[in-house]
Amino acid sequence: MSVIQQVTRDEWRFWHRTKLAATIIIIGTLLTLVSGVVNTLEMQHASHEREHLQQSAQAQFLEQPDRHPHRMVHYGHYVFRTPSALSIIEPGVDAFTGTSIFLEGHKQNTAMFADQRQASGMTRFSSLTPSFLLQVLVPLFIILIGYASVTREKEAGTLNIMITQGINVWHLLLGKYFALVSSGLLMLLPLIVAAVWASINGESALITSSFVAGYILYILVWCGIVLAVSAVNQKNSASFAILVSLWIVLCILLPRIGSSSAAAIAPSPSKLEADFAVKAELRKLGDGHDASDPAFEQLKKNLLTKYNVDKVEDLPINFRGTVAQYSENKLTEILNQFAEKRMQEELEQAYIARQFGWLTPTTAIRSFSMLIAGTSLETHHRFLREAEKLRFDFVQSLNKVHQDNLSYEADANRNKNADATKAARVDAANWQVLSEFSFKPDTAQTRLLRSAIYALQLLFWCGLIVLLLRFAVRRIS
Amino acid sequence: MSVFSNINREARFLVKQRYFFALLTIVLLLSVFSVWSGISETNTQLSTIERLQQKDAIDRANVLAKQSDYGSAAYYSFHLTYSAPSAMAFAAMGQRDIYPWKHRIRMLALEGQIYETDSDNPELSFLGRFDFAFLISVLLPLFVILLLHDLRSAEREAGRYDLLIATASKQQRLWLSRASVLCAALAIALLLPFVIGAIIMQAPLVSTLQVIAVTLGHILFWMLLTLWFTASKVAVKQSSAQIASVLLAVWLGVAVLVPVVSDIAIDEMVQSPNGGEIVLTQREGVNDAWDLPFADTWAPFIATHPQWKNNTEMSSQFEWKWYYAFQQVGDQKAAALSTAYRDATLEKNNLAQRFAYISPPMLAQKLLSSIAETDTLAAMKYEQKVRDYHQALRLFYYPLLFGAAELNEAQNNKTKVKKVAFDAKALSKLPSFSTFKNTIHTAKENI
Amino acid sequence: MQKDMIVASSLCVRFAQQTVLDKVNFNVGQGEVFALLGGNGAGKSTTLKTFLGTIAPLSGTATVMGMSVSKDIDSIRQKVAYLPESVMLYGHLTGIENIKYFLSLADIEKSAPDIEQALMRVALQKSAWCRPMSNYSKGMRQKTAIALALLREAPVLFLDEPTSGLDPNAIDEFNRLIATLAADGATVFMVTHDVYGACQVAHRIGLLDNGKIVGMFERKDQAHIDTEEVHAAFSARSQQ
Repeated sequence: MSVIQQVTRDEWRFWHRTKLAATIIIIGTLLTLVSGVVNTLEMQHASHEREHLQQSAQAQFLEQPDRHPHRMVHYGHYVFRTPSALSIIEPGVDAFTGTSIFLEGHKQNTAMFADQRQASGMTRFSSLTPSFLLQVLVPLFIILIGYASVTREKEAGTLNIMITQGINVWHLLLGKYFALVSSGLLMLLPLIVAAVWASINGESALITSSFVAGYILYILVWCGIVLAVSAVNQKNSASFAILVSLWIVLCILLPRIGSSSAAAIAPSPSKLEADFAVKAELRKLGDGHDASDPAFEQLKKNLLTKYNVDKVEDLPINFRGTVAQYSENKLTEILNQFAEKRMQEELEQAYIARQFGWLTPTTAIRSFSMLIAGTSLETHHRFLREAEKLRFDFVQSLNKVHQDNLSYEADANRNKNADATKAARVDAANWQVLSEFSFKPDTAQTRLLRSAIYALQLLFWCGLIVLLLRFAVRRIS
Repeated sequence: MSVFSNINREARFLVKQRYFFALLTIVLLLSVFSVWSGISETNTQLSTIERLQQKDAIDRANVLAKQSDYGSAAYYSFHLTYSAPSAMAFAAMGQRDIYPWKHRIRMLALEGQIYETDSDNPELSFLGRFDFAFLISVLLPLFVILLLHDLRSAEREAGRYDLLIATASKQQRLWLSRASVLCAALAIALLLPFVIGAIIMQAPLVSTLQVIAVTLGHILFWMLLTLWFTASKVAVKQSSAQIASVLLAVWLGVAVLVPVVSDIAIDEMVQSPNGGEIVLTQREGVNDAWDLPFADTWAPFIATHPQWKNNTEMSSQFEWKWYYAFQQVGDQKAAALSTAYRDATLEKNNLAQRFAYISPPMLAQKLLSSIAETDTLAAMKYEQKVRDYHQALRLFYYPLLFGAAELNEAQNNKTKVKKVAFDAKALSKLPSFSTFKNTIHTAKENI
Repeated sequence: MQKDMIVASSLCVRFAQQTVLDKVNFNVGQGEVFALLGGNGAGKSTTLKTFLGTIAPLSGTATVMGMSVSKDIDSIRQKVAYLPESVMLYGHLTGIENIKYFLSLADIEKSAPDIEQALMRVALQKSAWCRPMSNYSKGMRQKTAIALALLREAPVLFLDEPTSGLDPNAIDEFNRLIATLAADGATVFMVTHDVYGACQVAHRIGLLDNGKIVGMFERKDQAHIDTEEVHAAFSARSQQ
């Protein structure tokens, strides 16, 4: 048996005999297992619920009676985002964004009713998601298991005996490293099972395997940090104090400092404030409800010329519907321009916060994990864009119905009396313009490309660990 | 020998420990950063509100100038509502990144407007902010554990323990004064930047003292716990690292597990209507009204506003008073759900408050955000104020829309009500949010 | 002269089913140097710790200057100086700073000349006084601790293996110092496994084996106890 294997086996025997390490490994594995199961059930429930809500919202829209098409524009529609397969491990920003949007004419609403708003406020620091456990708590468990792996031998004097016997220090450290990594992987086991489950449920194998690979790299990095610190220190207590301090800094402090810095460095004006600018732009457009607004004079002239008539009443189409279409189009352009700007600002903030991945592996794995799982800000933005596209499509289709299927005269006189109101309606069959909404996560390729830089951050940390271990070996020998 | 000289001796002794100094410097820097980022966030919010107020006033003036009837004036004019951060908010941003603290509302159905969230960047909220309250509630226990866990065991491991206790005239006093010095230094490092921040922000003295009291109380709790455990029989046979592991496990339990489990428990205990249902109910109510007979709108409206029962006559298929009446009815239809939703939020908050008693870090966090008025309750108060203000807007417009003056005149002369004449001057008396006081009913207090 | 400065009567100590001390009796008078001699695991350190109050006896009593260890440990500690086997003081403080710190722990104030005098008396070289103790040798650390004991003017001294790890010159120096202290009226109780050293310095030797006192040796006319006699008894016991 090689020295490395021997050392690994001996380490496991030590953990087995000293109850502490064994207890931690069992607790760690159980915790991730429980959270994996709880989260999977919760996500499945949420997924079914949202699919159901989406279908009933669609049905409700289609069941609306005959009415004026513009009423349907204001009646609006709901879209729900179904969670991605890997959100059973990494729910990402989902709890903070809200997962449903109300779509209506002339407006872009924000996502409503984020889970956190209805929560008790107890889970701002911690949560029982597997990702929190794996990213924040498992490193602490690895520290508790491994802080004494080398210092223990130093305190007992056995390290000197080994060295004088001519053992290769690299072999010794590698043996201990493999033992520590294997204990870390044990706690990762529930994640691997969940990833396989996600694959069965239609997630691409490439995605799930890179997801697992990312977490393995993270475990490798922390095992390396623990071993290197243990190897350069002389005493158990010193190694322990340094590692716990490192854990506080790397796992808790730096990610938060990153987000606070991002907010301070690149403050983003609130949506409310941007809305004033939007409103100012929109005012130039004219009110789409009012076809006599001077802003539509040019449109009117063009149409009159095109159809070679003198009055709007003589147009073969309903001019009011044309105006509604025209102004919705212009308005959406402006809204989108501002929405894109806002998303860009949010992304810039997120990028600043994510650069902290060069300073702490926790931020690196968090960004990587969110992007791969499809629960990141980018995916949320895509949800917003797709919802907006759906909104624009159905509003414009209704406006087209307004233009083509409702006479100008009936429309203009709709408020005269009850009969006139009744006459200014179109058939409910026209509500079929609504297309089905089903939100799919980004393609595997997109997600892999986006997360590449954070994979690089993790690899950078691996490189750093190799250097650190080399330094440790030199210090010992 | 007096307590003071004991403390004095230990202070002079500990000043020479390099490790102790390094830790204190880090704590001081963290505290400075948390206070700085808190102040910068507060100032950003304050200046945002200031800018919004200006833009809001200009925007409304522009809009109102173009209107020629009260209905359109109410339809097109938005009103800014906001909840300014308190002077203490820099220390605890609390729930302000999740609950909205600014809205622009108009006289349409409120239930369709009030859940709009102009929230922060969700990724930053997810990562969590680093504010003073976080430092005090979550990290402070770790600092105390790092400083005190090896109080005795380090002496034991260094072989000085027997000599120390054989020499010290009162050994309890030795450990106590050593721990006191360490914790006092920690408290100073934590609180100094905070006090400076409080002075800069001109925070009220009482709440400043309250924050200091919470901080000291939390330190004291962990100091006594650590002292008790390190003196226990179990700890005698354990190494420094083993003792710290046990203390870390306690921290993990109260700072991570208790909150997570209580959250699940609270969710099970309190049934809350789905927020989406409120908006859906309100939407159905408002949209159906267009196709329903007018009487279906007037009946529920008059039930709550009997003073207008003689003025529901419609001269056309569309009249603003009818339009706002069905907006009101839409709110009325969603009222039961909306109240249940708010009650559930309050109930959850109350339960969380109670559960916090078994988790000192949670308790500290709750207390701090309550002192800083950034907790759920403060958010609820703001929401109530928005509701009251919206109500005031309705009370302002209804007489103008229904024609109170004209109605009186018509009743006196026994003639038909004339159309309400538009007078732009009347709009100068629009209630303003910045000077608005909760006069209708005060926000629910559930403490 | 008081005969019962330190008294053990029927001391029994048990650790988890195992009897460590079994009815140990002895007493030490004022100005006497008493050595408890025994091999590894005989129960020497346990006896010492019982007197320091860090181990509670199952039965029997340990008294120092008439005060019971189990009742008046705080008062006893003010009268007793203890010298651990391996003296460890604070490495980041100098010899003088360590002494000042420990003195203040014991509520004693001493002037700088007093401290210097004590250091002179234990013959710690002057150049080391103001150096951090982390680079003191074992002998130097021990001298510092003895200086501390002198300054405390404790009437009773407990020494744990005082000469182990010291070079022969240092041992001689140490023995002379103990003899002077005893001559000045101090009561000295030491535990050791060094037969020769014990015979040199002690007035009386108690031989401890397996938790029992199995022999008592005294100085007769000569300047020290007969080494060969003690040695014979010691090795006879350890071969059993």
